[in-house]
Amino acid sequence: MSGATALSGGRRDSGIAAARQPALYGAAAIATLLFAWWLATAVPGLVPSRVLPSPLDVVARFAALIADPFSGATLFGHALVSLQRWGIGVLVAIGLGVPLGIALAWLPPLRAVVTPAFELLRYIPPFAWVPIAVLWFGASTTTQAVIVFIAAFPACIINTQLAVSGIDPILARAARTLGAGSATTLARVVLPVAAPTIFTGLRIAFSNGWMALVGAELVVGKQGLGFLISQGQINDSAATILVGMTTIGVLGTLIDIVLQRAQRLALPWRTDSVRPAE
Amino acid sequence: MIPKMEIRGVSKTFHARGGTVAALEPCDLAVAAGEFVTVVGPSGCGKSTLMMIAAGLEAPSTGEILVDGKPAGPAGPRRTVVFQRFALFPSETVAENIAFGLRVAKVARAEIDQRVAEQLALMGLDRFRDAYPHELSGGMQQRVAIARALVVRPDILLMDEPFGALDAQTRTVLQEEVSRLQRELHYTVLFITHSVEEAVYLSDRVVVMSKGPGRIKREIAVPRDAEWRGFEIEESGTHASFMQTKREIWELIRAEIVRQ
Repeated sequence: MSGATALSGGRRDSGIAAARQPALYGAAAIATLLFAWWLATAVPGLVPSRVLPSPLDVVARFAALIADPFSGATLFGHALVSLQRWGIGVLVAIGLGVPLGIALAWLPPLRAVVTPAFELLRYIPPFAWVPIAVLWFGASTTTQAVIVFIAAFPACIINTQLAVSGIDPILARAARTLGAGSATTLARVVLPVAAPTIFTGLRIAFSNGWMALVGAELVVGKQGLGFLISQGQINDSAATILVGMTTIGVLGTLIDIVLQRAQRLALPWRTDSVRPAE
Repeated sequence: MIPKMEIRGVSKTFHARGGTVAALEPCDLAVAAGEFVTVVGPSGCGKSTLMMIAAGLEAPSTGEILVDGKPAGPAGPRRTVVFQRFALFPSETVAENIAFGLRVAKVARAEIDQRVAEQLALMGLDRFRDAYPHELSGGMQQRVAIARALVVRPDILLMDEPFGALDAQTRTVLQEEVSRLQRELHYTVLFITHSVEEAVYLSDRVVVMSKGPGRIKREIAVPRDAEWRGFEIEESGTHASFMQTKREIWELIRAEIVRQ
């Protein structure tokens, strides 16, 4: 779920048939990767299992982590905790970032006031906030959610602002000559047109938040997927680490797929692909 | 008789570095009910500025716009605009675009449906009612924009170079269609163009503007009963009276371009 891959997709007309073949190649590549991994662990003496356990060991460890608690919770338990922290953080980021982005695009004076401070804060990486967040909120869900929020918020606000200010002013003028006031113009013309770019911002926000969360969990907290892999390291269990890493990757991908689907359902009139801002 | 719309002493001055630039000297122009008035002029003569002021989308530096003898106030559905770049709402279907002004005015659902259906039929858009703008050709998009502006029954329809972004064939078809609508339904129209032929073909009166700063130079009446009325534009262009009027207007504009 890197920035680049998260942003592909969007054309509808090219269709499912055309997408099927690349999907097949993609599956083949993953299979090849898995095979190479297995081969590396199957040749005796090539890679010690302490460094890289075989795929089968990881599957076994996966089953064990689902069945029995490890470091305080089962795999599901850790995943649920992570998802909850992430969900709170991104929801707050969206709830504040989208309206604020609209306001910044529509009210130039507000933009002049807010932008410099925002730009300054934006270049403080989410992880640099971890120590102060711990001081303020302790090793709590709040701390983790705050880190998610800090990682997700800029993408929400920046893309919303770009989306709204990038709309051809002639559309608002046309709406005015047809009798629409500001609120109607915003709701019926501006937001629908801005929605695809806002959606792109949300996708970036979701993935940024997810990645920051796992990082924060490595450092602080007693539960979560990041905590799980750090415990794997302490317990010298590479299999546990790999299970955690895979779960993080798969969940991240699923989140993005769900949002892509939602975007397609919500914006049936959209054909061209979306240009991201960050 | 009170004109449907009156542009009275309207001027526009822009503030530039180190002073002011007069874009438009005070202009007076009246459009009677059912009259089709076209403004032509070289680029930079301020005709689009005049149009935006007439629409209420820009404020004049002096003067005022009157509709039925009263100040027209801010932009609104009594003066609808057809823009050169269509300005359709991309997230709405053809029918939704056309219904926009009626929905804003909270017209009853049944009446909206009926009036939108009328416009779709009038503009030959029935087959496209559920299409999105990006699925239509430029000509079809501009038909939707015209329908959207007409459906609210404006006092005056303002058309800002509406065919300027269309290819030649499409433009011809739409010119003939607007001419037919005008002869049948007698809308009140203020139309901006840089095509002299288009101006003569569509109008009851052609207003020629000059530039530097923009002002109204001359008004030329085009008789409604001219013998070429009702013909296709190419056919009309072969009539002596059409060519005569066209030449007269063109000489006025040529003088402006040469003047530089």
